[in-house]
Amino acid sequence: MFKIVYNGCNMKRNTFYLLAGIVALAEVGIFWLSVELERPILIQVAFVLGVLLLYVARRRVEERLEDERTAMITEKAALRTLEVSWVVFFAISLGSAVVAFSRPLGLRPPHPPDPNVTHALIIRITEPDVLPFDLFGRFAIGQLVLLCLMIFLYVGFRMYYARKYGEWDRDEEQD
Amino acid sequence: MKNRIKVYRAMHDLTQEGLANELGVTRQTILAIEKGKYDPSLDLAFRIARFFGVTIEDIFLYGDTAERK
Repeated sequence: MFKIVYNGCNMKRNTFYLLAGIVALAEVGIFWLSVELERPILIQVAFVLGVLLLYVARRRVEERLEDERTAMITEKAALRTLEVSWVVFFAISLGSAVVAFSRPLGLRPPHPPDPNVTHALIIRITEPDVLPFDLFGRFAIGQLVLLCLMIFLYVGFRMYYARKYGEWDRDEEQD
Repeated sequence: MKNRIKVYRAMHDLTQEGLANELGVTRQTILAIEKGKYDPSLDLAFRIARFFGVTIEDIFLYGDTAERK
């Protein structure tokens, strides 16, 4: 009797890491392309697809990558990151709220006519064609900085707990 | 918590990798348990004990029990 066993397209651990590297490089390229074409949707969709691809690929790795110990390390690192991040996020949000509430709420009255408006227009015309670093831009950069902080914190905590729970220990079987 | 997994592994002529594969965990987890850096869940402790055909107390020595032995 023949027995058909569906093996899917399982992969080795190193193949998965190679795929992750290729995806990361592709994301950098698409980011550059997205900036060149001035189409943010490109990198946004590519990023989500890249993450989904890695999640699917991770489930197909033959060797066991996760068990209860690694799950515990991940949980502890995530919890510590959350504990620090919410304080930082809240502090920054409070600062933003103070800035927002220090001005009159609601619709602003129209600006009074500027006597130097003609002069200002001339200056604006002669300025180089660059995007102003407005409030929206500052918000995006601030969000990226906070996200990077979270990632750094998570990686740091993960390394700490991984070391604590013997992730990089060696013994006579490896020597 | 001390344990005698290494002894039982030697008795059954098993490597850490082999035991890890049998129990469905990573080799690093077996190593961490043997070195006392990680205490396994009750579920994994039972699976280890059943795999070797002994009771949990034969493998894991808790607190003062470990000192007496």
